[in-house]
Amino acid sequence: MLSADFVIATAVVYVGLLFVLAYFGDRRAREQKSSFLHSPAVYTLSISVYCTSWTFYGAVGNAARSGLEFLTIYLGPTIVFVGWYFVLRRLVRISHLQRITSVADLLSSRFGKSSRLAVLVTCIAVIGIAPYIALQLKAVTSSIQAVAGASEFGQGSLAGIDDVGLALGVAAAMALFTILFGTRHVDAKEQHHGVVAAIAFEAVVKLAALLAVGIFVVFIGGGFEAIFSNAAERGFRLDTENTFNDRWVTTLVLSIAAIVCLPRQFQVTVVENSNENHLRVAGWAFPAYMMLMSIFILPIALYGLTTMPAGANPDMFALTLPMAAGQSGLALLAFIGGFSSATSMIILESIALSIMVSNHIVMPIVLRFTSGGRDGQGVSHLLLVARRFSIVLILSLGFFYFFFTRDSDALAPIGLISFTAIAQFFPAVLAALFWRDASLKAATAAIATGFVIWVWSSFLPSFASVSPQVAQLMQQGPWGISWLRPEALFGLDGFDPLTHAVLWSLSINILILVVGSLLATQSTLERIQANVFVDVFRRGNIAPRNVMRGAATANDLYFVAERVLGERRAAALFETAAREAGVMPAALDPSPEFIGRLERELAGSIGAASAHVMLSKVVSGVEVSLEEVMQMADETQQVIEYSQQLEKTSAELRSTARQLEDANAQLRVLDTQKDDFLSQVSHEVRTPMTSIRSFSEILLDQGALDDQQRQRFVSTIHQESLRLTRLLDEILDLSALERGERTWENVPIDAEAALERALTVCGALLSQRGMRVEFGGRARPTMVEGDSDRLCQVFINVISNAVKYNDAEHPLLHVTSAVRAGSYVVEIADNGPGIAKAERKLIFEKFSRGQRGAADQSGAGLGLAISRQIVARMNGSLDLMAGPLPGACFRVRLAVLR
Amino acid sequence: MPTWLGPCGACWVIMAERRKLEAAMLVLTALGTLLLVPPLVYIFSQPLTHFGVPQVVVYLFAWWAIIIAATAALTHWMPRDPDGVERD
Repeated sequence: MLSADFVIATAVVYVGLLFVLAYFGDRRAREQKSSFLHSPAVYTLSISVYCTSWTFYGAVGNAARSGLEFLTIYLGPTIVFVGWYFVLRRLVRISHLQRITSVADLLSSRFGKSSRLAVLVTCIAVIGIAPYIALQLKAVTSSIQAVAGASEFGQGSLAGIDDVGLALGVAAAMALFTILFGTRHVDAKEQHHGVVAAIAFEAVVKLAALLAVGIFVVFIGGGFEAIFSNAAERGFRLDTENTFNDRWVTTLVLSIAAIVCLPRQFQVTVVENSNENHLRVAGWAFPAYMMLMSIFILPIALYGLTTMPAGANPDMFALTLPMAAGQSGLALLAFIGGFSSATSMIILESIALSIMVSNHIVMPIVLRFTSGGRDGQGVSHLLLVARRFSIVLILSLGFFYFFFTRDSDALAPIGLISFTAIAQFFPAVLAALFWRDASLKAATAAIATGFVIWVWSSFLPSFASVSPQVAQLMQQGPWGISWLRPEALFGLDGFDPLTHAVLWSLSINILILVVGSLLATQSTLERIQANVFVDVFRRGNIAPRNVMRGAATANDLYFVAERVLGERRAAALFETAAREAGVMPAALDPSPEFIGRLERELAGSIGAASAHVMLSKVVSGVEVSLEEVMQMADETQQVIEYSQQLEKTSAELRSTARQLEDANAQLRVLDTQKDDFLSQVSHEVRTPMTSIRSFSEILLDQGALDDQQRQRFVSTIHQESLRLTRLLDEILDLSALERGERTWENVPIDAEAALERALTVCGALLSQRGMRVEFGGRARPTMVEGDSDRLCQVFINVISNAVKYNDAEHPLLHVTSAVRAGSYVVEIADNGPGIAKAERKLIFEKFSRGQRGAADQSGAGLGLAISRQIVARMNGSLDLMAGPLPGACFRVRLAVLR
Repeated sequence: MPTWLGPCGACWVIMAERRKLEAAMLVLTALGTLLLVPPLVYIFSQPLTHFGVPQVVVYLFAWWAIIIAATAALTHWMPRDPDGVERD
């Protein structure tokens, strides 16, 4: 048989073993980055700190008392880990990027680095966890008492020590262990590899112990079937009909919230996580661990109920069953397993809480009162002292809670009180991760209100058994107001107390968070942080730009960094930055990026809010105000606009350059055209001049000519000079038209009359050629803007061209005029040879004459060019088109005057 | 481990695959939750025993085993985060 002294000695040796493990784990982790300690297996096992003595002892007791309800505590976390991809992965990513150190830090960082929120969350966590720590103390105390009570060696050294004294001893020992374990030095990232290694080892021990007890019980009970049927015979049936009630859902919700928000779970799952991909393993392995832990709970509970005496404490079945069967070794293993689960929880929970207390309460106070004074005392030393005191404080609170509620017997309900308190963070945490508009004021109010309701409806009633005042309060309500009774708020009577407390606290919490966020406005820093959190996967690894700026010298910053991070880390940080900037460390000019990086590093040690406050004191610009941010945004906007303007200007320049190029090309073409024109003119002038000269020379040579000949030569000279005059007239006319010198008033004229006049003028020419005129439709008298004589000139020109070039046997002219779509259109077509495709573009050019057609081509080739100019001056057009006859067809189009 | 060098055809397929797996995980989580709470849980909570164990106990542990296996499978197929952050 076991003696109490032996068991206590074993426990002390076991803790010593843990300490050695933690010590070497720390050294190993520091020496090798890729050691076994950084594996997903150790990560998963460390998360199993969730299974405390509540699981080891309490779950059996809970199963014996209320059947399957104990399972929800493990089913809830299973759901969270099955959905690891959605919440935990996001949480881990954000915490890595922002160097988050605790759940208080997470909320404070998200809601504008608010110190006040961090303090609130820390206080609630410390108070809310007290019952949970009391649960562990109670479990350890009960297990030692169970061994001592059954021992044939009597109480041993425990003689005369009651539960309270024992619990005090346990609490003191635990405080000592935790201080030795967790506060030997301040890690820059709040990671405790050695402790995690010890926790992982404990996870294996407690699983092995519970499995061993379970297998043993199933073995001596004759198998699952026998245990269940024997229990059923004795009247211990699972009440499956009333299992799935509101309480089932409530505990499920609580455990879902707890696995995320419990300080120690946040510590192991998020802060101690060294690689995001470890979650991939933990996603299925941690649920598997919990399933293994739960498999034998029911058989142990049922077998205990069947075989143990009626008054036996069902919470201790895992320990008392092997003892009753005389299996001392197994009983010792069970005791160590239960002790393991309690110590791991207490160590980690108080480390996590002490980090919160020192970072969010002690640091801000110190920062406020030292006002940046250069006392040279390292902040890390101060942090260590603060953490040691916090650990003592946290365990004291746990002990006091145990002291005041020592008469309550069951373990599980105590744990659920803590879960309800911690669950108050859950809505805000979810909002922090997913809801951009969640605001600081709303979150603070929501958490505070939830906490107040929890104190009233869950925490206070747990003292009912020791305090008559509380019992009376619960019966009648404060000042006799019955609708304020803690377990029947607002007249909601007859509910299970836990469901009642959770329903009211969480629903009002959520309501305030949602409505408050919709009403409140966010500060600038809040909005920035909200986007950083919600868009964490969209941004990738881009750290947010620091909003601090100002004239901090590297020296000032180094002083701050040294105080918090210690000399080595600070020096390394600054040397790296200097190397990157390519300057000497002394000449480092702290850029906003560097200040941002420094702030995140500091946040890793003292929390986001404290780091922000600390740097704000050194960086003289303090924090940028809203106006400054707006101005910065304005400047950015201006830069954007300026660059857009530049782009526009350069586009304009490009187009101008293109236009200039075009103009240049045109000029070159015009130059060539001018040369062509000159040579054409010379050529045109030269032909008549040659004949005039030669004929006049003949005439000068007197005597050889008779009068008739002389007469012919003189008339030729006359004709040629007329032709020359006409040519020069045309050239002058055209150039005047082109230069816009020859202007006339565009007045309303009857275009149809001008056409009629032109046909009359050309009548002689037409009949001389024997050309028949055919009319298509004729328009009624139509008014257009222009000059009647000039328009007539155009028509004459076109008609005479049609006559001149027509070599058909039965020459035909087809004239149509009409008003179409607001335009007066005249089409003059002939059945001549038409205009070759290659010439079509050229015929409106100067001196261009058709190659085909009749030989008599007396014109200089300026007619169409002049006509086109005239029509253009009347805002109309003269085009060549496909006509009704095989030959050419010219169309004159003029806008009808209305 | 695919290479995430840019918008290549294979990556697109992987991205689409990733979205499907994400959806599958969401469905698994939601369905898993629904199967644990009333009214669905009542379907499996008949007053029967299998091998002497009440049906609902068998059901809950079967749920557990299946959801663990399904999560392991989905996680196995899910490509690793290309930009996973390490912290050590």
